[in-house]
Amino acid sequence: MKHILAAVGVLILFVAPLLTNNSFYQHLMIMVLFWTLLGASWNLLGGFAGQVSFGHATFLGIGAYTTMLFYLSLNMSPWLGMIAGGVLGALVALPIGLICFRLRGPYFSLATLAVAEIVRLVALNWDQLTAGPVGLLITTLPPLSLGGHAVNWESKIPFYYIAAALMLFATVLTYAVSRSRFGAYLTAIREDIDSAEAVGIDTVGVRVSALVLSAFVVGLAGGFYSVYFRYIDPDAVFAISLSVEMVFIAVVGGLATTAGPVVGALVLVSIAEVFRERFAAGHLIFYGLFMMLVIRYLPEGIWGRLRFLLGLTR
Amino acid sequence: MSHKSKILAVLSLSLALSSGGLAQETLKIGAPQPMTGPDAPFGDKFQKAYSMAVEEINAKGGVNGRKIEVIIEDHQAKNPLAATVAEKLITQNQVLVLTGGRASGQAVEIASVAQRLKTPYMVDHPSADIITSKGFEWVFRNNPTGSIYPEAFNKFIVDVPGAMPKSAAVVYDNTVFGKTIANSVMTFLKSKNVPIVNDEAYPVNSLDFKPIMTKVKGNNPDFVLLVAVSTTDAILMTRHAKEMGVAPRAFVGFGGGFGVVDFAKQLGPLSENVFSSAAWSGNPNEAATKEFYAKFKAKYGFLPKEHEVEGYAAIYIIADALKRAKLTGNVDADREAVRQSLLQTDMTTVFGKIKFGNWDGPLGDKYTNQNTYSREHSVLAQWKAGELLNVWPKSNAETGYVFPDVALVR
Amino acid sequence: MEIFVQSVVSGVLTGSLYAMIAIGLTIVFGVMRIINLAHGEMVMLGMFGAYWSYTLWGIDPFVSILIWSPLMFLVGMAIHRFLLRDVIPKGELNTLLYTAGLSLFVANLALFFWTGDYRTLNLPYAQWPVRPFGIAVPIALAIAFCMAIAITTALYLLLSRTDIGRAIRATAQNSQSAALMGVNVKRIDTITFGVGTALAAAAGVLLVPSLYLYPTVGEILITKCFVIVVLGGLGSVPGAIAGAILLGLVESLGAVYVSVAYKDTIGFVLFLLVLLFRPSGLFGVGRS
Repeated sequence: MKHILAAVGVLILFVAPLLTNNSFYQHLMIMVLFWTLLGASWNLLGGFAGQVSFGHATFLGIGAYTTMLFYLSLNMSPWLGMIAGGVLGALVALPIGLICFRLRGPYFSLATLAVAEIVRLVALNWDQLTAGPVGLLITTLPPLSLGGHAVNWESKIPFYYIAAALMLFATVLTYAVSRSRFGAYLTAIREDIDSAEAVGIDTVGVRVSALVLSAFVVGLAGGFYSVYFRYIDPDAVFAISLSVEMVFIAVVGGLATTAGPVVGALVLVSIAEVFRERFAAGHLIFYGLFMMLVIRYLPEGIWGRLRFLLGLTR
Repeated sequence: MSHKSKILAVLSLSLALSSGGLAQETLKIGAPQPMTGPDAPFGDKFQKAYSMAVEEINAKGGVNGRKIEVIIEDHQAKNPLAATVAEKLITQNQVLVLTGGRASGQAVEIASVAQRLKTPYMVDHPSADIITSKGFEWVFRNNPTGSIYPEAFNKFIVDVPGAMPKSAAVVYDNTVFGKTIANSVMTFLKSKNVPIVNDEAYPVNSLDFKPIMTKVKGNNPDFVLLVAVSTTDAILMTRHAKEMGVAPRAFVGFGGGFGVVDFAKQLGPLSENVFSSAAWSGNPNEAATKEFYAKFKAKYGFLPKEHEVEGYAAIYIIADALKRAKLTGNVDADREAVRQSLLQTDMTTVFGKIKFGNWDGPLGDKYTNQNTYSREHSVLAQWKAGELLNVWPKSNAETGYVFPDVALVR
Repeated sequence: MEIFVQSVVSGVLTGSLYAMIAIGLTIVFGVMRIINLAHGEMVMLGMFGAYWSYTLWGIDPFVSILIWSPLMFLVGMAIHRFLLRDVIPKGELNTLLYTAGLSLFVANLALFFWTGDYRTLNLPYAQWPVRPFGIAVPIALAIAFCMAIAITTALYLLLSRTDIGRAIRATAQNSQSAALMGVNVKRIDTITFGVGTALAAAAGVLLVPSLYLYPTVGEILITKCFVIVVLGGLGSVPGAIAGAILLGLVESLGAVYVSVAYKDTIGFVLFLLVLLFRPSGLFGVGRS
């Protein structure tokens, strides 16, 4: 049953953007993919390992700036730049993890918040490197041709498939982790870190690895952001609100599940868009209300509940 | 003709006529604005200004017999949302031209989208130089850029005897707005060999300016120059400066929070004699401008300033371009026609003269389609008894200036 | 030298108001082990309450605090009893996120009703600062400082001398033992949350003549608040006070002697350093 659902999901994924000519709807689809990607990567650390990070935007920003700067100053193709962004995000995650994982629970969360703010302020003030608040803008993307056809960067379709590829990567990664020994270690740490330590698990090492992995994926997403929106400034990519939204998606969708982030992203993007149009003055009110209702009545997340109802939990 | 065919003929004729009537759709103008969130008050100003212009133009028969319409979309002052709604306006609403944006970050996104999707964007208020210095041929701007805001202040200190500062403290926020303006005025002051004793960039929306002002006071500057895009920053900064006993010959703000009526409302007597050098809101000594002020005040109950005038003028500029453009009904061709039409713009609005051109800005930016009269559109105003009145250059002045500032420290 | 003294005075005065906000957050954590992300909105509501009662009815905020603080005490109790109590058993993360949702909800509801216009409350008698020894001391801030001390003292007396206070402290130390000793832990939780909210609202009322208000001001305040409570040690009231004054001083002196642009960064860096080398904070209740 699970496999059928997954297959159907992948099919929809490939076909979706071709079902409409409306570039705005295509944009919404891309946003769903983008947020799924972010939610899934946060989930690795927050859902599986139970380490609540409020500073994941740090890696998004690093990924975004790396890609932009490599393209603008070194003329490195943004596709390579995205990977560089992921790598740099992962590299930065190392010291952050080593520092922050000395702490537990709420202390850890607040530490990640502090780190994120420090990085944002540095990006804002270090004009020589990041152009500060003015931000970085790219106007053209390097020409690329696939099978003899030049890719049309004015259309949303190529971006959709790139986002889809990234999202599939993150989802498959999550699935692999959930089935692996590493995943078991993460769960052990989430449930009872002292016992895990007692049993011989290197809790610091495992957590740092989870963070590094998570940061790599978020860094990739940051690279995608730069290429898709073509303009970044510190407030767009390092904002606390981004970090918080990633958390929401994982929680609303379903922590520690593979498909949870997809559901979370779908729900949140649709609601945000619906409310933005109808209640121009009050959509954020419903956003907050919705969060509260889900957490109170569906703490395992929407997908968590669906999974249970469909009898899919193993 | 038989009875039946007569009826058929009448029916088909009326159908044809009515669908012909449907073809007379409104001419659509898209305007992303912050309608919710902290910037909402500004979005509201533009909405009022646009509405008034649209009503007037439509009452006079519209543009070539067709009515115009402004479609406002909320971007909540978030860059990615600004890009999203701009795309929506272009692809779903099929607007012929865009305006608005309000804050620079969002405007850059909109400009980028407009350039890529080949839709003209007539910038009405956002001031970041980068918007018209990237060579975007689809982007036009009526209002002056941030680096031009200090122009009137620069003229003042040069023209008024004894006004050249002996030293200056410059405090500005860490935004595009703050940095650009501060850079521009400091470049000018340095060219006149004025020592800059404080160069402080503060994080926007700070809660407390007392430490900065303590530092500034220690250097006893002759002039204190303040830049704040946020109204609350402008208010707090001024209050704390005066509380800490900073007493220069002049406090000079540069638009943003210093140009809004709330500044004087909240500060009361503390706002007295503070200058603001910024984009002007038209020449108040001209009849057309006076008439506009009166009409606006009658309709909405408050006097229009920079934002309202810019929004109002923008609609008139766009209407003028629409009038001269040959519209065929094919959206892509029409947008190009409007663009060509904008390039030929040569008119005067309540905001001032307008002609788009390519020229160099004060910080060396190469502008494309920037209003060539922009340097004249900076004015130095001063807060007096709760009102912001133009004081320099004389041709624009509504009243005399007060300088040096009578020390308010007791 | 004058600059130094001025910076110190400004830092301490501002810090004292931060302290009031932080104390509310820290006692809630001490007793219930939850971090209330909506705390900033409670401050904001206090600020708006004071603003409206001044603007509409002419009541001085230093007087209307007697209305708003008790009112918000009741509001806080209601929030705990009807909203939070059923969410807390679902875990730390869920509670944290629930309060984040609550924060979003309240802030934007306020934005909807009261619009995003910036407002300040200007007390006519507080226009100009007093200048003892040439150091500028804003009047509104000075009065707020004194009242903050009074309120904190009252809180101290409540916690140490009254039965309820003892029950609160017992629950904070060990809720299971407290329950065994006959303390109605559920009731204490609700009361404590009420107290925390009342303190936040009081802080808001005291702050509003010296600051500005708009519905989303809670965001900025809550971030500072976290730095403070962790600096001082989650759960410790003296810690919150010390942390707040420390942060006030660091920001003030940092802005003057190091760099204005990075003044917030200094606070965060200090915060991280404390977390690393003394994770339970200056006066921590021993949770690392």
